[in-house]
This record gives sequence, structure tokens and C-alpha cells, in this order.
Amino acid sequence: MLQTNKDKLVKISVMGHIDSPVFPPVPWTPHFISRDGKPSLLPYVGGIVYNVRVGDPALGWAGEVIEPAASIRNKDPQAHRALKVFSSIGNQAVVMTGRARGAKGTVTGKSGRFADHVIIDFPPETLDNLGLGDSILVRACGLGLAIDGFPGLRVKNLSPELLEQMGVTAQNGRLQVPVVATLPPEMMGAGAGLDSDGGALQIQTGAPGALEQYGLTGLRLGDVIAIHDYEAFQAPGLMRGAMSIGVVCHCDSMRAGFGPGMTVILSARQDRSAANVIEPVRDLNANIARILKIGAYR
Amino acid sequence: MIRTNRDKLVKIAVGGEVSPPKLHAPTQADSTGRSFISIGMAGIVYNAQVGDLAFGWKADHIEPGVSIHNPDEHADYAMHYLTCVGNDAVVSSGEAAGARGLVSGEHARLLIDFAADDLDRLNIGDKIVIQGYGVGLELLDFPQIAVRKCSPALIENMRLEVNRAGQLVAPVTHTLTPRLMGSGLELIPEFVDQDMVSEDRALIEELGLLDLRLGDLVAILDQDHSYGRGLRQGGVVIGLINHGDSAMTGHGPGVMTLLSCPTPDIVPVIDARANIANYLPFPSRMGSQGK
Repeated sequence: MLQTNKDKLVKISVMGHIDSPVFPPVPWTPHFISRDGKPSLLPYVGGIVYNVRVGDPALGWAGEVIEPAASIRNKDPQAHRALKVFSSIGNQAVVMTGRARGAKGTVTGKSGRFADHVIIDFPPETLDNLGLGDSILVRACGLGLAIDGFPGLRVKNLSPELLEQMGVTAQNGRLQVPVVATLPPEMMGAGAGLDSDGGALQIQTGAPGALEQYGLTGLRLGDVIAIHDYEAFQAPGLMRGAMSIGVVCHCDSMRAGFGPGMTVILSARQDRSAANVIEPVRDLNANIARILKIGAYR
Repeated sequence: MIRTNRDKLVKIAVGGEVSPPKLHAPTQADSTGRSFISIGMAGIVYNAQVGDLAFGWKADHIEPGVSIHNPDEHADYAMHYLTCVGNDAVVSSGEAAGARGLVSGEHARLLIDFAADDLDRLNIGDKIVIQGYGVGLELLDFPQIAVRKCSPALIENMRLEVNRAGQLVAPVTHTLTPRLMGSGLELIPEFVDQDMVSEDRALIEELGLLDLRLGDLVAILDQDHSYGRGLRQGGVVIGLINHGDSAMTGHGPGVMTLLSCPTPDIVPVIDARANIANYLPFPSRMGSQGK
């Protein structure tokens, strides 16, 4: 059993509204240009997505960077920043207004630059009753979470309850983390150099053969993924010896450099004593929807 | 001689004003948690110019010479999209009115090179007009190669050659691999640059990259920037180092996309002289003779 400081963490409210999809005004084209130069008009981020849930495949949808279930934003930039940074995967969300008032959901991730939402899973009957603009309160808890004996490890965007259920173990100063796949730094796309505390880091899916090479063809929303030689203490980027862990939070993209996004939950640099090292352990069931019994596993 | 469609390109004015440096927060933390104050972006930088080292400055993303923006958002995007490296610029207001400069790169602002005595007379807010020229440029014998942000003057002076196999041979100072490429993947190659990741300084040293200079032409292997910036085995991108190093993880010297080919039809050859300061008459490097 991992020992953490969970009894010292503050649980605090942050809030956002169900955010409508938006497109640019005419005469701008609504199309996205694929990595091969082909334009497509498809559903894009935001809104209430009725038929893509955490636990479902992250690839193959006729959509661009689709965020599962409900996406929220706070129109005040600073309150939005707090919403983005304080919310942790596994936190409880409550519908405060509208026909679904009182319904409960779960934070499943955060999208990055441009999409910029907190992503919340709700049961299908709640999604049916949600309206655009409904107010969603997140009971945020996770910021400051630390694991005893791992002072160099950064834990982020992760609720203590989820951490305890992920099958993470500590042995000989190393942290074993069940993951679906381990990826090299060159597979990291948009989100590199940006924000690991309130944003996302995308997996580049465009290189021919890369999905097969790294065992990603069955990738699901909610899958836990390791990235070697990659550090995400603040802005994520290449660092030999480092290891970071992310949770797949949104779907694929047709654009070069983009792909399924991950919310980073753990990051460590390798130090000389070999302490504070994350050791990924392959486990095809390492998926937060399966663990929390939400989304497709409800 | 590389054949282009330069005689079909439109030359059009865009412009802005000299940007004041701004602090979004008093200090920022680097990846080790040490705080630093961001200096080097925007404003008039008197002592770092195209051709100088990209590493080593006590600065964040240093932009050589003069940085300009347009306060109207749409006009600012027009300036970004329509300006090419090597375009002529002229100061149109203030004490330095009439001074001539040359575009050396594009970051969050357009970067313009001026002679030292013109820098001395420039004020923040002075207006600068750029003769935007190069958008739409094509290499007529290489339809598979995308050209971005290159003025005809640059493309004609960067010593491109065609080898016997019909490939385009491009002199560069260094080659980079995909794992080094960081912030900027989320932007299209028609807009600003992508940083190389320099946080693992021992790696940068091992790869011999510490002598990179502002203005260097570099090759990025296994990349395609034809539409967006992404991984593609066999693809080759020729880029330009436009700004200096950064203390933030995922950041470092900036690489602007100039040429991109999804197939191995660009052959980079290492040549220490492959810097735009050796190809174009940048006023900061010409002394008073350049005026």
C-alpha cells in the first residue's frame, strides 16, 4: 500500500460551464487540413458528446480532437486557470444548474492549448439532460499530492482515490506503474513545451507504422501511458533518463503533430541513487474508466 | 540555378511598430525550480544580432535586433503570414525614419535587423513597413517540396543545388532528430517557429549543438512540415534558427520551417558557412558600408 499525504490535501470548489463547440466566422473555412493536405469538416472540441465516452477507442472517430462526454470552461480567464490546474482526474463534479441539477460526474482529463477544457464523464441519462452553459462544480482535490519516499517525484492532475486504485506499487525505491504502452520522446506532439499542470500532451499518430510499432492501434480513452526520456515537471520536454506517465483524455487528430491527448499524472527524473524512478509495467487493463467504473465501463 | 516562380509573386506592404518588452509575471521557474526573469523577447536588442551564438545568453528566447508587432490583431496576422525572411523593411516614423532593415526571422513578433547607429535612434513604438515578398514561392522542379517564409533573395542565395539523382542539396550547419523538437508542434509552419528542446544540456553538448548561431540553416530529419509539423520517416525539413535558447523545458533555440519534403528528396550537407548572415546583406553585419 502506497503511503501518501492525502490527509493533508485541500478539497476546494472550482467551476465551469458546459462549453459550446465554436467555429470561425465566414469567410474563414471551417475545415481542418490533414497532415496530407486534405481539408475536412468534422465535429471539433467542446460541447456535450453523447456517444464517445472514456473507455471507448481514442482512434477512428470521424471527429477532430473529440473530448468525451462533457467539456467545461470558465469564461473568466483567471477562474478558468484555477479550474484547469486544481481539477484532478477522479475528482467528483456536480451539475449545479439546469435539468440535470444534482447529477454527479467524474473528471477524466484536461485538454491543452486551443481546446482548453476540463473533461467530465457523466452517465448517459445525465448527458441527455445537460444543457450548454449549465454550471458544473468540481470538488477539486489532488494538487500537492505526494508519495512517501519519493521526494523527487511529481504527482499532478491526479486524485488520491484514483492513485490508490491504479495498482501502483513501490519496491526498492522504484515505483511500478501499470501502463498500456511505453512511448519514446519523438512520439510526443502538440503540448511539448506548454503546460503539464493544466494542459495536455498529444501522441503523434501520423507517422506511417508508428501505431503498430508502439502497440497503440487499440488505444482507448482513459488508457495509462508511459513516455520514456521525457520530463513534465512544468513544461514537458525531452530529458534523458526521465519518465512521465499520462492518461489519454481526448481523441485523435488528422493534423500533423497532433493526436490523442494525455493528461500527465506522474513525472520523475532519474537520479544517481536510482531512487525516484518510475518503472512502467505493461498491463492492457490500465485504464481509468475500468478502474473507476465510469464511461464505457459504467 | 534553382528555378522558381518569383516573377509571379506579389510584393505587398505589411507592418507594425517596435514592441515593448512585457513581463507577464515578475519571475518564472525553470525546470529545476530556479526562478528567472524573462529578458530578451521584444524591444530593441542592441547586442545580439543574426549570426551571433544562439546559446549562452542570460536571456529567454532572445530575439536578435528589433522586434515588431501590429496592435491590430488581424493586421498582425497579415504581417506574420505575408512576411518572409530576407524581406526589406524601412522605418516610417520617428528619429530613425528612413533607416533600412532586413527581416531575419519570425517569432511571436517579426524580427528585423538594423545597423547599430539606426538601433541607437529607434524608439519603442516607431513604425516599420515591411515589403512582404515570397508567399506562394515554388521550386518549379520540386513540386513535392513546400517552401515557407523564404524571400526569393534568400532561396537564390542559400546555395541550393541539384545532384545527379535529381535531389535538392541544401547546405546546413547541423542536423537535428525528431526527439529534439518541442514547443511549436501545435502551430502551422506558416506561423512562427518550433523550439528545439535544450534542457538536457549534456545531450546538446554531445550532439555538438552548442555552437549553433542565430541565422544558421539546419536540417531536421524524419519530419514533414508540409501541412502542420509532424513526424514522418524519411522526410526532411530545412529550418532557420531564429531566436536564442530558453530555460524552460520543452523550449530552446527556435527553428523556422523554410523547406519541407515528405520524401528524401532534400539532401542536407554540413557546411559551417550555412548562415543567412553570409547570404544576405544584413545591416548589423555590414557596418556603415551597408547604408
